[in-house]
Amino acid sequence: MRLRYIAAAWRMSVRELLRSRIAVILFLIIPTLFYAVILLTTTHKEIVFRLASVSEEMFIRVSQRQEALVFIGLAAVGLLTSFLALNLTQKHADANRRLILCGYTASELLSSKFLTLAGLIVGIGVYISILLLLFFEPRRLPLVFLGFMLAGFVYGCYGLMIGAIFRRELEGILLIVLLANIDIGWLQNPIYYADAQNTFIIRHLPAYFPSQVSMTAAFSGHSILAPLGGSLVYGGLLLLAAGLVFGWKMRIRK
Amino acid sequence: MVKVVEARNVAKSFGRRRVLKDVSFSVGPGEMAGIVGENGSGKSTLLKTIVGLLSPSAGEVIVREKIGYCPQEMLVFDTLTVNENFAYFAAAYGLRSGPGENGWRARERFLLSRFGFSSYRDVPVSNLSGGTKQKLNLSLAVLHKPGLLVLDEPYSGFDWETYLHFWDYAAELKAAGRSFLVVSHFLHDRSKFDAVYELREGVLRCA
Repeated sequence: MRLRYIAAAWRMSVRELLRSRIAVILFLIIPTLFYAVILLTTTHKEIVFRLASVSEEMFIRVSQRQEALVFIGLAAVGLLTSFLALNLTQKHADANRRLILCGYTASELLSSKFLTLAGLIVGIGVYISILLLLFFEPRRLPLVFLGFMLAGFVYGCYGLMIGAIFRRELEGILLIVLLANIDIGWLQNPIYYADAQNTFIIRHLPAYFPSQVSMTAAFSGHSILAPLGGSLVYGGLLLLAAGLVFGWKMRIRK
Repeated sequence: MVKVVEARNVAKSFGRRRVLKDVSFSVGPGEMAGIVGENGSGKSTLLKTIVGLLSPSAGEVIVREKIGYCPQEMLVFDTLTVNENFAYFAAAYGLRSGPGENGWRARERFLLSRFGFSSYRDVPVSNLSGGTKQKLNLSLAVLHKPGLLVLDEPYSGFDWETYLHFWDYAAELKAAGRSFLVVSHFLHDRSKFDAVYELREGVLRCA
């Protein structure tokens, strides 16, 4: 891998993203809209739930609104990063293949896209953490922020993979919205999974580990090492899958 | 004479559909070969097989020069400007920006001027007309001074004046020893070509 090539592709990838009107609009609208909905629909009534990643039977009693603010932050990060990552690998796929014909390798192009995604994850994580702080100060804010970034990492890699698999926008967006809606926007809400009949599925969905990092950090002093490791492994596997599919789709005869 | 490109008994199938059947031809240094054929006759498939975007189902393709490929579709980045597209492809070719006439920026200036679209240098590609986009598409194929130019419908969308500029430039490159493989659904002036082939139902014949 040649760093000069990756740097050039990264610069262009960032410019492309910044000039995408829909990306900028979504970046501004989704977190604001999600937080507005939570503020309009929740109360300060106390709720009780159990943290799934903490081994002992420990119930947490918090304000409904505070729980929802953390949960919806995770949902906003997951939805935004997966959609923007989808754009990175799906848009201009044929032009990317032409670049490979001209001398790039698929791994250099994917690395540049991953670097762009990493910047996005940090940006979105910071933005949503600031919004969260306007309404509620979690117990361990830096670790809640880490959970947001891990949600971005896992869902961003999922978006890269879906973008590499599907050529048409509609299928890609459908799969992004479908999973994000079911997983990070519904099943990972502790209020739901605390009483779920079957948690096996919930524990194997992409947002499980990042959600546990943020929830555990926001409302308890328990260790987040296990869900942190789980998030990194899950995201790493999705990134590997994205790399394999991207490399296969971009292959040329040398 | 060593050929720049040789196709030997090339076949290409997509599932049961045989698009190319036992295609053989070659192009020597400084030669210009044209391939004509109806829509759907397999011309673009043949070019994609030559440049490496597709692998032949049978036979072999030997290329002995750097290729400059101009695809039929505008495979450029439409949210980037013309200049940024030049920069991106220059990076892909491994060209340095460097000072003076050696860097890609001098080459960019030359091509912008040669094809008459210097004033669009800082305009996003999405705002360009079809003809100007095609000028960029073509310029990106010749940016690194390739020895073999593989051009798929290279002058589609050009006005008459640009069409003539294109042929003037092609003649200069040819005189400098560059080889050409040009595909079109029709070739206006066959006298410019050293060889013209016709592709019909996957079979290549001398026209």
